[in-house]
Amino acid sequence: MKKALQFLSENAIYFVLVVLILVIAFVDSRFISITCLRDILVQSSTRVIIALGAMFAILTAGADLSSGRMVGFAAVISASMLQAPTYLRLFYPDLPKLLEAVPLLGSIWLVIPILIAIIVTTIFGLLNGFIISRFGVPPFIATLGTMVIVYGINSIYFNLPPNNSQPIGGLRADFTGLGTGAFGSGDFSLPYIVVIAMLVSIFMWILMNKTRFGKNTYAIGGNINAAKVSGINVARTTVAMYAIAGALYGLAGVLEAARTGGATNNYGNMYELDAIAACVVGGVSTTGGIGTIQGILAGVLIFGVINYGLTFIGLDPYWQLIIKGIIIISAVAVDIRKYLTKK
Amino acid sequence: MKKTIVLALVALLIVVSASAFVFAAKTVNIGCVIYKFDDTFMTAVRNNISAAAKEKGAKVDIVDAQNSQATCNDKVDLFITKKMNAMAINPVDRSACGVIIDKAKKANIPLVLFNREPFKEDIAKWNKVYYVGAIAAESGTMMGKLVVDYWKSHPEADKNKDGVLQYVMLKGEPGHQDAELRTEYSIKAVKDAGIKVDKLAEDTAMWDRVKGQEKMAAFLAANGDKIEAVFANNDDMALGAIEALKAAGYFKDGKYMPVASVDATAPALQALQDGTLLGTVLNDAKNQGRATLNLSYVLARGQKPTKANVGYEIVEGKYVWVPYKPITKANIKDAL
Repeated sequence: MKKALQFLSENAIYFVLVVLILVIAFVDSRFISITCLRDILVQSSTRVIIALGAMFAILTAGADLSSGRMVGFAAVISASMLQAPTYLRLFYPDLPKLLEAVPLLGSIWLVIPILIAIIVTTIFGLLNGFIISRFGVPPFIATLGTMVIVYGINSIYFNLPPNNSQPIGGLRADFTGLGTGAFGSGDFSLPYIVVIAMLVSIFMWILMNKTRFGKNTYAIGGNINAAKVSGINVARTTVAMYAIAGALYGLAGVLEAARTGGATNNYGNMYELDAIAACVVGGVSTTGGIGTIQGILAGVLIFGVINYGLTFIGLDPYWQLIIKGIIIISAVAVDIRKYLTKK
Repeated sequence: MKKTIVLALVALLIVVSASAFVFAAKTVNIGCVIYKFDDTFMTAVRNNISAAAKEKGAKVDIVDAQNSQATCNDKVDLFITKKMNAMAINPVDRSACGVIIDKAKKANIPLVLFNREPFKEDIAKWNKVYYVGAIAAESGTMMGKLVVDYWKSHPEADKNKDGVLQYVMLKGEPGHQDAELRTEYSIKAVKDAGIKVDKLAEDTAMWDRVKGQEKMAAFLAANGDKIEAVFANNDDMALGAIEALKAAGYFKDGKYMPVASVDATAPALQALQDGTLLGTVLNDAKNQGRATLNLSYVLARGQKPTKANVGYEIVEGKYVWVPYKPITKANIKDAL
């Protein structure tokens, strides 16, 4: 009996996920379908990537508030350079001519804005890590600062003439294909974006579990002084953590633009809180040092199921908010219990 | 030595203040608050205010209220302290206009409110308060009529042949005046045209493209091909919905869904061109911006606004109404 309870408590988030799905399916049985599953996976893809980036700060007992605005900036950067030449209102009106004039550039162009976007957010990630490790600014404050700065820069860029803060639309088909296309067709198709999210998750799992960097991260999160004494270069690891987080936000932003076929400077607004919520619901301890990739995936999926499922059954949007809040608090309360009993 | 420095300083002071006085007398200073800088439509209005000010040679300070009425009031106080000649305020919350009007009246600075209509009793408090905006309900009515026209000219639009229009509604922020009025009046227009309606789903997508796409995906999964029309309170949500429809196989091989919205942004016009968006309603940012600036400018110079000096008709001595305009593929040019 005691063992069963312990098993339940240790895997609480997975049970919450299953119970949620069952409750929604009970209200409307059509919820159990491949279409719904695929929609939820697609909608969770970018959020998984963001949450995996946000994980680093929480693992080291901080919080990264800059993720949402970085996502927005990457979305705007990539969209601004990947518009179809026939679009009515181009961000860079002369870009199509340039791409036509330089033949090789035109054929590989798709990759370049994506890389630029990811590099830019990686630089801001480096900046986060540098401010935190060099100046000892708490992560919460440091990333609060970069969050506002990134949004400011993004808005200036977005307001450049001739765009003047109009939503960026008319994206190239090969770019939107990245976010909306799939392997296979019909019921048995597997969207690219889901595959990308899975590959990123596998990469992150290996990084966190099989490399020295991953072990160092857990060690710093568990006890920073012990980590220092045992010879871990805390500063370098911190900078690397935030840089990787930045790269992940950049990738997520690019995919967000590709998935929706457009971007504005308001993209990614409040995503940082969703990412933090998904991490803590997924069992990443806010006191640092504890958390798994699979837990975060479950955390993101819980919110994916809530967002999609509650709309699916036509629940009033205000009630959706209340249920989300209850789930965040109860998941963390249950999660904390297992550490309390251990002590 | 010391005396010469003091003298020089005094002389400098006089010159500076005198020139400042002359400068101040010449330029017209207008303080302008926008409820939220990253709102697409208000950005277009803002750009037109700046452009019109440049033409007139007026100086406009445009600031961001960051979607907070408290910030908006702080900015108004700032403008009063700076002794602006007139203020053009786009309030965050229409019910808060009364306080702003009181502040302006006390400081005797003429006030133009725009885009969010104050209550009648508030605007009646003082004779130097004006309002520039559109009749919000009209946008909903026009959006409804776009779908009515389609429904009447395309018998195949009634997919299940029951004579009833099954629709879904993507709503803006709940409680937002435009969201409520567009939702209500679009459906009223359909009913007034003698068409029975059946609401399959309604949810808020918070004016947001990403959320529009996600909510529409859920609607489609729940209702499938039963949906016969999509109403969205703005273009961004409609464009998101169109992405979800595309993913579900619409807009190819003869599978179509009428989607109607409001705003006529650049990406929406492209969607009209592509044939994915049925129609949108132009909220005329150009004329709203120009009317706001022209009216503020006339007031700042202490003149009485008339149609001749503002360029727009003043209704009941208080209002400038900038009409909406329905836009379809046929008249895209009107929105460019």
